[in-house]
Amino acid sequence: MQALLSFDQSPPLTAPLRFLLTAPLYGVLAGALLMIEGADLLASRWTPAALAATHLLTLGFMLQIMLGALIQILPVVAGANLAQPARLAALVHPLLNLGCLLLVAGFLAAAPGLLQAAGVLLLLSIGGFLFAAARALLHVPSTSPTIRGLKLALSGLLVTAALGLVLLLALSRGWSLPLMPLTDLHAGWGLAGWTGILLSAVAYVVVPMFQLTPGYSARSGWAFPWLIIFPLLLWSLAFWCDWVWLAAISQFSLALVGIAFCLLTLRLQSQRRRPRPDVTLHYWQLGLGSLISALLMLLTAAIWPALSQLPMWSPLFGVLVLVGGFIAFINGMLYKIAPFLAWLHLQNRGSSGGSLPAMNKFLSEAEMRQQMRVFFAAFGLLTAACLWPEALARPAGLVFMLANAGLGWNLWRVVRRYRRFCLPVNTVPAV
Amino acid sequence: MTIRDFLATDHRHCDDLFAAAEQSANAGDLAAAGASFGQFRAAMLRHFATEEQTLFPAFEARTGMSMGPTQVMRMEHGQMRELMDAAAGALQAGNTDDFFGQTETLLIMMQQHNMKEENVLYPMCDQHLADGSAALIERLRSELKEV
Repeated sequence: MQALLSFDQSPPLTAPLRFLLTAPLYGVLAGALLMIEGADLLASRWTPAALAATHLLTLGFMLQIMLGALIQILPVVAGANLAQPARLAALVHPLLNLGCLLLVAGFLAAAPGLLQAAGVLLLLSIGGFLFAAARALLHVPSTSPTIRGLKLALSGLLVTAALGLVLLLALSRGWSLPLMPLTDLHAGWGLAGWTGILLSAVAYVVVPMFQLTPGYSARSGWAFPWLIIFPLLLWSLAFWCDWVWLAAISQFSLALVGIAFCLLTLRLQSQRRRPRPDVTLHYWQLGLGSLISALLMLLTAAIWPALSQLPMWSPLFGVLVLVGGFIAFINGMLYKIAPFLAWLHLQNRGSSGGSLPAMNKFLSEAEMRQQMRVFFAAFGLLTAACLWPEALARPAGLVFMLANAGLGWNLWRVVRRYRRFCLPVNTVPAV
Repeated sequence: MTIRDFLATDHRHCDDLFAAAEQSANAGDLAAAGASFGQFRAAMLRHFATEEQTLFPAFEARTGMSMGPTQVMRMEHGQMRELMDAAAGALQAGNTDDFFGQTETLLIMMQQHNMKEENVLYPMCDQHLADGSAALIERLRSELKEV
């Protein structure tokens, strides 16, 4: 009840914003790493540079934004108020960033001490966030697929982080564990159980909302997270019992469920009633197309495992899932979230009287479109670089750097304009 | 029927009118856009009025919460009224770009507002006002019909 009483309380702007503004830096770092390492980075998923780049994208970019956005949306979509959002953000944000940087340094330098220190920091930041989110969500009944999805996604994050921690300890202390299948399981929970379920939970809300499409059917909304969790549990069992066939069946079902979700979303978007296709929609279309391609690869590899031994297989899968898929979705949604938050907070400062600038005065369509073109070029180059690494890895890294710098620059523009719009309210003397 | 179902249906009705206005504006038919947007604004204002004059007072009287969620909903209604004024002004001035800038903001404002109402406030109303809900819904229905 107490949560409901104050369900209006939007957290302070800095709470989500600090995450959103830092994330693009990790995209820049990942691009820089690819420029430095060149084709070597794409040679195998097990090289230190590939592990470092993967975590720059998944922890530094994706997790960072997902946590920042959750701090903002938990009260709105679930009525779940985090006790002290500003304080939580101020705690989780530096720990996550320091942890991520140490992890990447630990991979690159093969330094067990760094890896262990990273493990402690990441445990504190992710654990702290999960604790706060669980406390806020505990008494919220799952009255909508989105609320149920948020809860299950957070459970997915818990499992992903726990598996990651085990892997870190195994790596840094030389435990004899089957590292490769365990890494696959860690990636499976992270990509499907955490990111995939969170994306779907958010999609139920934002796809109809941004584009005025018909809603997802309630049945698919309720079923989807379980259709992801169940194969993941089977996969975990398969790992435990060393049943390769069961792991393959689980991956096959995950791929099917994911493809069904993407096709359903594409169909809904084709029935949208907003007349102007905007940057966010284009990012969604890239994301869905790229995710479908990656899931088709997963489907094929579950039937012919030998395919996944091809040298370009894993890097290509990674580029399609992470860059063309999740990072594209996130990038597109940031272009709605950041200007709207700026507008909302300007509005709530009580600057009435004059007409408030609309969202497109914080960031124009042209500015977003320019960055989007660079991002699409980066995605194209990265995909091609998986096939022709010697020629294209470095140019792809450079353009990916530029795309992320462009995103960061655009987000800073929003902040600068917000500050500028704030000024007159404070400085113009009352007449 | 619950209060939530009834008022959520009216939200969707407003969405339909909103979509029609944007489509006409995009097609360059500013007269049709103005007419649709006028219908949309009238439907929204009726929705706000029936909430502010009937539903919220009933909820506040029953729960004693007058500074809680309903207060925030009233504030957001005020923000949406301003956005609708600005969008209508842009349309009158023939400035389609400004119109779309305002409707973009309005749409997100409107949808996140609806989400809070449909997920939190209306279920609370259904819970606290269960005994007289049939009569209350009838009253809401008659108020929404007024032109």
